[in-house]
Amino acid sequence: MSDVLLKADRASIQFGGLRALTDFSLEIRQGDLRGLIGPNGAGKTTAFNVLTGVYRPTSGDVYVGARRVNGKQPHQINRLGLARTFQNIRLFKALTALDNVRVACLSDTAPLFPVRDAAGLGGRVAAACNNYYDWWRAMLLTPGFQREEADIERRASELLEVMGLSHRRDEHARNLPYGEQRRLEIARALGTRPKVLLLDEPAAGMNTREKAELMVLIRQLRDRFGLGILVIEHDMKLVMGICEHITVLDHGETIATGDPQAVRADRKVIEAYLGDSYLETHPASGALA
Amino acid sequence: MANAGPASGSWLKAALPLLVAVPLLAALQPLVSTMPFALYISSIVGVNIILAVSLNIVNGMTGQFSIGHAGFMAVGAYAAGLFSLRVKELAISGLPPMLSDQLLLVAALLVGGAVAAVFGFMVGLPSLRLRGDYLAIVTLGFGEIIRVVVQNTDVLGRALGLSGVPQRSTFFMVWLWVFAVVLVARRVANSSHGRSLWAIREDEIAAEAMGVNTTAYKVRAFVISAFFAGVAGGLFAHFVPILNPGSFTWVKSMEVVVMIVAGGLGSTTGAVLAAVVLTLLPEALRTLFNQFGVGGSSVDQVRMPVYGLLLVVLMLGRPQGLFGTTEVWDVLPRWMARMKKRLA
Amino acid sequence: MADFVQHLINGLAAGTIYALVALGYTMVYGVLQLINFAHGDVMMVGTFMGYAVAKSLKLDLHPSLWGVLLVFGVSMGGCAVIGFLIERFAYRPLREKPRLTALITAIGISFLLSYGFQLDFGFLPGASPHAFPEIIEPAEWLPLFGGEVVIRNTQVISFLIALLLMVGLQYLVFRTRFGTAMRAVSFDHRVAGLMGIPTDRIIAGTFMLGSALAAGAGILYAIKDTAVQPLMGLYVGLKAFVAAVIGGIGHVPGAVAGALLLGLVEEFVVGYTASTWRDAVAFGFLIIVLLVRPQGLFGRMTPEKV
Repeated sequence: MSDVLLKADRASIQFGGLRALTDFSLEIRQGDLRGLIGPNGAGKTTAFNVLTGVYRPTSGDVYVGARRVNGKQPHQINRLGLARTFQNIRLFKALTALDNVRVACLSDTAPLFPVRDAAGLGGRVAAACNNYYDWWRAMLLTPGFQREEADIERRASELLEVMGLSHRRDEHARNLPYGEQRRLEIARALGTRPKVLLLDEPAAGMNTREKAELMVLIRQLRDRFGLGILVIEHDMKLVMGICEHITVLDHGETIATGDPQAVRADRKVIEAYLGDSYLETHPASGALA
Repeated sequence: MANAGPASGSWLKAALPLLVAVPLLAALQPLVSTMPFALYISSIVGVNIILAVSLNIVNGMTGQFSIGHAGFMAVGAYAAGLFSLRVKELAISGLPPMLSDQLLLVAALLVGGAVAAVFGFMVGLPSLRLRGDYLAIVTLGFGEIIRVVVQNTDVLGRALGLSGVPQRSTFFMVWLWVFAVVLVARRVANSSHGRSLWAIREDEIAAEAMGVNTTAYKVRAFVISAFFAGVAGGLFAHFVPILNPGSFTWVKSMEVVVMIVAGGLGSTTGAVLAAVVLTLLPEALRTLFNQFGVGGSSVDQVRMPVYGLLLVVLMLGRPQGLFGTTEVWDVLPRWMARMKKRLA
Repeated sequence: MADFVQHLINGLAAGTIYALVALGYTMVYGVLQLINFAHGDVMMVGTFMGYAVAKSLKLDLHPSLWGVLLVFGVSMGGCAVIGFLIERFAYRPLREKPRLTALITAIGISFLLSYGFQLDFGFLPGASPHAFPEIIEPAEWLPLFGGEVVIRNTQVISFLIALLLMVGLQYLVFRTRFGTAMRAVSFDHRVAGLMGIPTDRIIAGTFMLGSALAAGAGILYAIKDTAVQPLMGLYVGLKAFVAAVIGGIGHVPGAVAGALLLGLVEEFVVGYTASTWRDAVAFGFLIIVLLVRPQGLFGRMTPEKV
């Protein structure tokens, strides 16, 4: 029984009068491959945003590892081991593919002042001093700094290779075909050395062959990097194909969770996707997809 | 931008540019010092290059919009000027007076830069947390507040100006700092820090999601940019006889903005070239204007609406400016490789 | 006590002028999310238009209601046209481009107008200040505190004109179809377009409206201060923008509140310290507001959709 890497405990968020997410609960452990589905506007991306710190939950908690991360900045949550991709691709368009991944590869520098607690004033000042010192090393181009840069380049190149994008190293991200852009976003997310990977509609816009390749790739990533993965997807075949556990949202609420077979046959799920009139006219059929 | 980054580690690689530049500048120094006009012009050009390249780090690489650079220049100028005034009579024992003067000048410049950097931190930290447009207004306001404070403070000479600052600036010193700021800009751009800044410019939310502390990085860029603006101001204080707040108005800030927009937001090369052209061109036209006299308006007066028109035309026609984000050191190797192939 | 009341009156007078200009800023920001740096300079152009009319028709010799209406009418109408032209040819082509591009263009136009008008060339007025003709015959209407504080007719008339314009705007924004369309566009201009609202026309109309109000403000300023010069737009414009931000950028009544507040604070600070601090007050006030309540007095923090 491995540790829980990511946990949402009855997280809710409200925008004015709109309850975008209600009592959202979820657990991801190492090796998990879970899915988050639901009709459009159900709150799936909102859930991602709450998990990654873009929104602060109005009630409930989010834990990355053992740490409660409510209200933390997205970059802090990322450093704790949570990485994501975006529904509408958000690559750094003017940067090359290699640079996109390099941005994410944060270097392992020996800090000037060891930072024990990054939240307190002392911790923040120490972190700032470390950062200024690192800029100083960059300006002087110290051999140590040069080695770290080479290391970053190596790690980024490896990730491009894993995602099959080595031939695009020096291309500007905006010039890449759509499917490769999606793969690049995943490579970039992996650069942050996450323990949990959140993929927001990674197969959107792909053709059947690309989707099949993606399914294989996601499993490989899970195995190779020892990740826990949560996928938002609309493509039922993909979700049913790779996810071991599925959570279904509708209007911000969780209407079903469980393994694919159970979810597929769940009345509420079918209703949410196809409408209750469908069930009236097709009482016998049960399965979705 | 092409892929950027160093290949291997060595002190030689790090120090090489300095080893080339220092002797070169030292050699040019005696030549230039015999021509006072050339000295003055090269100093003005040098100061403008430092301002443009430093602002480019914030407005170009990080994609922010700071329009109060003259305020930091002013802070640096007055801080360095006051420091030099206080130590005017001092000298470092055991050194020839020229060297002692130059070292004290360096001290003054570092003081000016440091004070400007502190102001950069104080201005940047609260405003960089807000939406992008607000930075523009805050930096504009900052420049204005500095001007008003100077005009109301006796020790800074009020509106009449601060006089008596020892005129110790030399060609060597100005262009050493020009070299320094260009080197810093280049090294930052090619490093992981620079990539993070570019990422912030491209998509702040994605950068944040990839672990980049966007606010901290924006503030860092702002502080370093302010430091160099302060140094530029300090140099300026040491080659103009009287330092008055009229040199550091919003107009000056906008001049620098026009330079980097025309050169290409993000391109250090573009910033340098635009600074040179936009400083020399009005000077060259000045004699022309004196001969023809455009209805009583001088070059300085016509310059401003022309800059305005230039900005509008650029944004409508070629918003990436002259160079976009390309740098001569990226383009040159590829061009030379192509030339070699053709000649082979 | 007399001083206090005098400052109060002066502050409100300045505040109402800032308010008229701030309304233009806040409306344009509302529909386009653009800080129209050129707004203050459009005000300046309007003032000079009024100046030209008043001077050429020698309206100071026979101050009359018709003269006043003519000056306001010409300058406000002329500025509406200028606002339309600027939006049409400088901002509209850049609407889908990053916001920075339009911002830089706005600054370019601001420079072009303010420093262009400083040139001594043809119809351009040149740098030195001109005296605005007295289109309203000055008279002391209400002496208070034994004559120490005087409320002049120009002040009352200015205040009433400003009030009239603001009430007119309020009616327009909240009770006409144009106003509703304007508010729809300010929420989301793409969706508004999909709902059948002619966004281009609405945005053009917003610009024209804001520019006309600014021209009105400019004439009132000229009546108050008499001296007009090409750089007046920069400072009044900037302070008016600060006022709009203080009230909550995009919030129409907020702009008025912010402007009145700024006018009063500026006047009281200057009154009790020294007039050389005047320009710093607005920005100092702004920085304090941004530190304490960045969304302004009435604004709301809008979370960005990811």
